Amino acid sequence: MSDYKALQEAVLKGDIKTALEQTQKAIDAKDVARDVLDNGLIPAMDEMGDRFAKGVAFVPQMLRAAKTMQECVKLLQPLFAEGDITSKGKVLIGTVKGDLHDIGKNLVAMMLEGAGFTIVDIGVDVSPDKFVEKVKETNPDIVGMSALLSTTMPAMPETIEALKTAGLRDNIKIMIGGAPVTEKYATQIEADSYASDAGSAVAKAKELLGIS
Amino acid sequence: MKEVQTFRPRLKVLGKQQVDAIHASALEILATMGVKMEHPGALAMLKNAGCEVFNEDWVKIPAELVEAAIKTAPKKFTLYDQNGNPAMPLEDGNSFYGTGSDTNFTIDVETGERRPTVIADVANFAKLVDGLDNISFNMSMANAQDVPVKDIYIHAFVAMVKNTNKPMVFIADSGRDIAVIHQIASAIAGGEEKFRAKPFMLNYSEAISPLRFPETIVDKLIFCAQKGIPLCLPSGSNAGGGAPVTLAGAMAMGIAENLAGLVIHQMTNKGAPFLFGPNVSVLDMKSAVVSYGCPEWSLSQAALADMRDELYGIPTWAYAGASDSKVMDAQAGAEAAFSIYSAMLAHANVIHDMGYLEYGSTSCLEMVTMANELVAMSRFFAGGIPVNDGTLALDALKRVSGTPGSMFLMDDHTFEHFMEAQFTPKLLDRSRYDAWEGAGSQDMYKRCNVEAKRILDEHEMEPKSKEVLEQIDNIVSK
Ligand code: B12
Repeated sequence: MSDYKALQEAVLKGDIKTALEQTQKAIDAKDVARDVLDNGLIPAMDEMGDRFAKGVAFVPQMLRAAKTMQECVKLLQPLFAEGDITSKGKVLIGTVKGDLHDIGKNLVAMMLEGAGFTIVDIGVDVSPDKFVEKVKETNPDIVGMSALLSTTMPAMPETIEALKTAGLRDNIKIMIGGAPVTEKYATQIEADSYASDAGSAVAKAKELLGIS
Repeated sequence: MKEVQTFRPRLKVLGKQQVDAIHASALEILATMGVKMEHPGALAMLKNAGCEVFNEDWVKIPAELVEAAIKTAPKKFTLYDQNGNPAMPLEDGNSFYGTGSDTNFTIDVETGERRPTVIADVANFAKLVDGLDNISFNMSMANAQDVPVKDIYIHAFVAMVKNTNKPMVFIADSGRDIAVIHQIASAIAGGEEKFRAKPFMLNYSEAISPLRFPETIVDKLIFCAQKGIPLCLPSGSNAGGGAPVTLAGAMAMGIAENLAGLVIHQMTNKGAPFLFGPNVSVLDMKSAVVSYGCPEWSLSQAALADMRDELYGIPTWAYAGASDSKVMDAQAGAEAAFSIYSAMLAHANVIHDMGYLEYGSTSCLEMVTMANELVAMSRFFAGGIPVNDGTLALDALKRVSGTPGSMFLMDDHTFEHFMEAQFTPKLLDRSRYDAWEGAGSQDMYKRCNVEAKRILDEHEMEPKSKEVLEQIDNIVSK
């Protein structure tokens, strides 16, 4: 196994060019793709998450590191062995009906993607029926709903109801968020999880699927 | 002595060169990238006026149309109070301060706890505003959780007009509730035409950065233009989130969005009143919160006032007196004071969000009460220094210096002028230590709490007539 220090440094710096060079170097050295990911890229992202949580890294640095990692994963993609799980899980995410706020939702989606989840972003003003339709179509592990208005929060239980009626509720975990949403509200409407910001959304998503 | 004009202190952050460059960039955005216009009627209107429509509902707006809209937009207009008296003449860089809209939480005035807002909070904030001299207009300050969501903005509006006669800035969800709100307003004014002649409310709608105009928002924009309801259309072009992270770029984009709205507005009804300016705050890069206490927002709106003076002439929309702090503490005081004072010196016109805590999530009666005092303080400062024989006071000096043992405190000149020559705070405490301790060692938060409660207890707004109240109830119950 190679030493991935240079790769990790490049990811932390968001230096895509160097990170790709380092990944290519590992590939040329016949490193196993899985090792490059597990021992190179992911620990770097974990370190970034840690720095962010401590307030020493900023959102754009976090996002740039995630992007850097994704570019490297693309390079590795053809080399993963059959059965290598490269996604932590699939998250379908949207802003609920009547609500047009999407900056928070987008940020959550990007952070989850950076942490290794596959994202299906279905946009804003998404009706319960549309959620149902998209869940059927894409078969996600987690459904994330965002609401920034107290007036659109009721669309969350409506969506959960629609998913129940469609017989899909048991196959998925539901995670909700947005400024007016609280832990208590999540319990009340029987969502599985709530996160107050993008950083904790990643932790909660992992928790929901029992992964680290 | 020859008369000397009093100089009004003025903060300037842009010169003509920068103003022209930002404006040129906004025009370039509109002419080359265009906006996404999701309202079929408005899209057709723009197309008929010669705009290029592409990608279904995107439209490029040429500079001529923009310049024409700027030309026909009123350069001054007045908001009246609900009794028809002129209250906010928006001209000459006059500054007026008011509260903000929909918060999720409020700091309970009795318990000091943060709790979800209810409709009684809307009423309380309106009543407080009615009783505070330096707060010129009212907004809901709460998104009440105990009224039906469908008509939430109608309920908020009714709670407001029942508790204040001051001018108002209101929110509506769509073309449906805004029509009901307009009916209520017309009932108060004594008819639609009377309301049009003396409007007492301004609608707050928002385009979506970057460059997107949803149908319901344009519905409201057109309705306001037709009915002569003044409106502002600040998109949330917060730097680093909805807009470029650099303020010049965020402003250019936000201004482009505003100008696109203005074009539709003026095409619908030339000369209808429009308040200019996007909300250019920042997305904080640690918390990912859109800040309500940052210097960038104050700076961008000062720049906007410069754009008004150098170019557009149209009165501006601004913010102040808010904070990202969770409680009304020193941070809240610092952020409120900074923004109130700079907005005043920038000569911004309609300044909202006074009394917000927690980046606009929580409202606080005490914070509004404090902001009221900070406006008074800033207004005093912004009044400048009158220079004339009376204020130079050589006569007084002659008298005092000629009388052994005398001092200015005893002189008639002091007696005659101290009221206007000095700023007399009400809540900012200057008492001696023992007196302060004797009065219960109250800090600013506590003093504002006592004052807010006193106003809620004692203040009586001039009640609306029985007929008007009946009409309102009829409209609402329909
Ligand atoms: C930007 C903004 C807008 C922009 C939105 C642009 C866009 N593309 O999203 C515009 C200008 C369009 C807008 C419009 C309106 N807005 Co607005 N807006 C805001 C503002 C200033 C910032 C929101 C934001 O983007 N924050 C930054 C992001 C990163 O944070 P966030 O959204 O909170 O998301 C984080 C968490 O909540 C969480 N999260 C979010 N979603 C999810 C989902 C999941 C699954 C999880 C786990 C976590 C999670 O993680 C995110 C990342 O850390 C807030 C006030 C504020 N300071 O928060 C008001 C605010 C949300 N808006 C408000 C209002 C009232 C409106 C309007 C009704 C105003 C009007 N006059 O019409 C319209 C409604 C339009 C509509 N139908 O949706 C109110 C809501 C009040 C309430 N009680 O409901 C607020 C609080 C302002 C206020 N006090 O009045 N707004």
